[in-house]
Amino acid sequence: MVEAVDDKLILEIDGKEVRVPFGTLILDAAKEVDVTIPTFCYQARLSGIGSCRMCIVEIEGQKKLQPACITPVMDGMKIATNSETVVSARRSMLEFLLSNHAKDCPVCDKAGECELQDMVYSHGQRKSKFEEKKISLHVKDYIISPVIIKNSNRCVQCVRCVRVCREVVGRGVLGSVGRGAYQEETSFRKGELDCDSCGMCIEVCPVGCFMRLPYRYKARPWDLKSAISVCPYCATGCKTTLQERDGEVVRSIAFKGLGFNDWLMCARGRFGYDILNSDKRLTKPLRKKGDGFEEISWSEAMGMISAEFAKTSPEKRGGVATASLPNEELFFFQKLMREAMGTPNLDSTSRWSGDTAGAYMAATAINEGGRTIYKAVNSDTVFVLGTQLSEENPVIDYIVRHVTDSGRSNLVIVSPRAMKLDATAHQSLRHTPGELAKFLNALILCLYEGDAGGLASLEEVGLSSKVSIAELAKLAGVTVDELRQLSMRLKRSETISILAGTDILKLDQGARGLRLLKLALEAMGKRLRILPILDRANQRGAWGMGVHPSLGPGFSPLSDDEKGLDCYGMLEAAAAGEMDLMYVIGEDIAGMYPDRAFAEDALSKVGFLIVQETFMTDTALKADLILPGALAGEKTGTFTNQVGRVQNLAPIQSPPGGARIDLDIMGDIASTVSKGFMDDGCTDIFGCIQKVVPSYLNIDNKSTGKDCGSVISTDVSLEAFFNVAESPGAVPTEEYPLRLITGNHLFYSGNLSSYSDILGSLLKEPVAEVGPETAKALGLEDGQNINVASEGYLDSFRLKISKGTPAGVVFIAENYEDKPINRFFKRGETIPLVKITS
Amino acid sequence: MLSDCAKEKIKKIYGNYSDLHSVSMTAMQIVQREIGHLTKEDLIEIAEMLDMKPIELDEIGGFYTMYNVERPVGKYHVQVCENLPCALVGAEHIITVIERHLKIKVGETTADKRYTLSRVQCLGSCGTAPMMQVNEEFYEDLTERNVIEILDGFE
Repeated sequence: MVEAVDDKLILEIDGKEVRVPFGTLILDAAKEVDVTIPTFCYQARLSGIGSCRMCIVEIEGQKKLQPACITPVMDGMKIATNSETVVSARRSMLEFLLSNHAKDCPVCDKAGECELQDMVYSHGQRKSKFEEKKISLHVKDYIISPVIIKNSNRCVQCVRCVRVCREVVGRGVLGSVGRGAYQEETSFRKGELDCDSCGMCIEVCPVGCFMRLPYRYKARPWDLKSAISVCPYCATGCKTTLQERDGEVVRSIAFKGLGFNDWLMCARGRFGYDILNSDKRLTKPLRKKGDGFEEISWSEAMGMISAEFAKTSPEKRGGVATASLPNEELFFFQKLMREAMGTPNLDSTSRWSGDTAGAYMAATAINEGGRTIYKAVNSDTVFVLGTQLSEENPVIDYIVRHVTDSGRSNLVIVSPRAMKLDATAHQSLRHTPGELAKFLNALILCLYEGDAGGLASLEEVGLSSKVSIAELAKLAGVTVDELRQLSMRLKRSETISILAGTDILKLDQGARGLRLLKLALEAMGKRLRILPILDRANQRGAWGMGVHPSLGPGFSPLSDDEKGLDCYGMLEAAAAGEMDLMYVIGEDIAGMYPDRAFAEDALSKVGFLIVQETFMTDTALKADLILPGALAGEKTGTFTNQVGRVQNLAPIQSPPGGARIDLDIMGDIASTVSKGFMDDGCTDIFGCIQKVVPSYLNIDNKSTGKDCGSVISTDVSLEAFFNVAESPGAVPTEEYPLRLITGNHLFYSGNLSSYSDILGSLLKEPVAEVGPETAKALGLEDGQNINVASEGYLDSFRLKISKGTPAGVVFIAENYEDKPINRFFKRGETIPLVKITS
Repeated sequence: MLSDCAKEKIKKIYGNYSDLHSVSMTAMQIVQREIGHLTKEDLIEIAEMLDMKPIELDEIGGFYTMYNVERPVGKYHVQVCENLPCALVGAEHIITVIERHLKIKVGETTADKRYTLSRVQCLGSCGTAPMMQVNEEFYEDLTERNVIEILDGFE
């Protein structure tokens, strides 16, 4: 045998020499020399099963043809991918696949983008010798989920759907039932699925077996017009291709090779597109009139703004723009507020304070530039902290599962409640909600057990070491053994990735602990990457653009007299009658601020409240003037995802009726309130951004459809934010013994998703989740109706028992339209205490 | 619904296997013995016990002909092997004889709920082909005559 050079094997494919490492599959080796081998059941990221036999190749010296998708190369192999034997065998394989296929292309949704069609066209034969009657597994197509309809008679038994559900999504609700020609990939007893409704099975299906129910019979692929955009539902930043026919957006699809997500997408991304078609959109400027609103023209609206603006003074003005706007609009927004309106009061959220956001940015070193998610999760240990990854950022959950399942990483999860990813994790810790700081403190003490010298250096930067690990562990709701096990895991790892989520922001706690953990691990010589995991599409961009009360563009800290009020501060000022004008874009303050009663009261006391929205939110209802804006699928611009990747948006349609692009509205307002402001305003906003935000210098926003690049590091210090006080958590009382945690739901995130009818059909009833122990202690059963009450609010929910959620914790998702979760909160509270009664 | 007795039996054999998933086939057999078939609810309950997804048990039940998932069978479940060695020595004829004798087609149950006829895959008794299994007993070297005697011999 020939000696391998550089640990590489040398072989020949179709006469071309290839050098590949040991363990490479023939299929991948062929790609190296541009030899394409047709495949069917093969799907990158999934385990190989070699069942369809499309990829068979001839290997010199072996009598039987071998499947290229599961056969690893050997040194000196001579492979033919197009020999006469191979071509004829491939033709026969296709003949077999078609022998039981329904061949109903004229009525099949997949026709035109069907892998079987393409394959038969290029490799098949015109006639079949099979004359037997085809097996029919069922007569009518059947529905297995509000978004999935099935026709098994078209199935080619590639089992991609079953594999993707088990290996990528981690649900495993599909299976192959029956055998041989009668094998059918379907749900349990063909019944309704209880799953993530991510539609991944539809996406991987090569034929028209799994189909999108909302897209059914709506269009042919060749009739569709497409726009490559970015999903607006979380900060993962999945590339999505929006497609429309005759003015109706009919699907959102993830294409292989487009964006880092490839064909991965979750339920929100795949089915939440229908907000673009919603008839509930705001289409005319509206002026408050009595208890209702009246339609006015845009010029009347600008006239109102001009008149009202003149009555106000700069320090009594303020603005909040949601972090789901593109960078260009957010940058212009802060310019508009700071320069045209002359006020420093601005923010990008109503869910946490500006200081909390600052501490989080500092802890995650957000100014240090972007990262690649794949590289980042390829560490010895992946540490998921303070995020409900499986529900908030499902695609990151898929990626982490893939990497950890392949054995490359250890996965550790630290969260207050159970999540799907627990099943993949090497260690899952449940800490008491609101005690993340104590947990991190205890973990650091564990890391330094027996190393007092190391500990001393951390005391200087604020670690409390006077408490015992046991005491902290008890308060944090974990055992010392668990902590020691985790600390050992971290010590044994050379590279560690921490995925740090929004719990740190929402619960206003853990940022300092995370920074101390970072210092500790770095002092131990570990290579550490911290990745922010965020839930608003452009949260990272919003901060980078300077939509923050104490940070300018490019995270540049402002001097004390340049600093303004955050949203919390503005609401407090409003409640005291000190806010004359507020300009709110896309942020549902009344629906999101943790104390609804207070937020509603404060908003109604704002002198003149301008709300720029796409739907009639609870905040819009309080407005004096409503301006109809546009959705992400209707504008151009860029989003910066949580790891710093900048991606272009492309419009699939124009805003409906009289609604306008938010940037244009802001431009009009700017010239209304400050004559001449727009004259020297630059026309190329992205160019202006690059002038003041150095981390965007290398971004090429003209590269349509592809990546624009990743943000780079800027030299600013955010350390000052560590001095702000963190929330102390909550101590349950006898009357209210349970801690309530809230967060995004798998099907809902932000107020926009609640306007999607398809997502709405996936989950009809609001549920409250508790662990089995809590349910047992209260004598409650899964599915029954219960009342959840805090001191100031009571509402009813359906009970869901979720295994793995510890005792004493209740979870209710945000964004149920008629169950405003923020009513449970009192101002300043991060963990409301509640009780459950049946 | 699993009977307490079946649950006990399943729990008792946990120790015979390296992990819970491996218990699944025997567990399904234990439950099936009680009423001759498995219901959807049975599978859900077994899955719950063994920390599996119901669909995984459905896959097992669909693959092996020995399980009758949501398919009630008569008091005597006549399972005739149809694989090659049996087919070569007249399995098809045996099936026709049984069909004629019991006045049912393959897959059907007699009106008195006594017999159900099924075709099954290899039962590992090729040396004594053609053969059939009735409930859990093998009947081998079948002929046109003895198969009727066997069927009539049941109470």
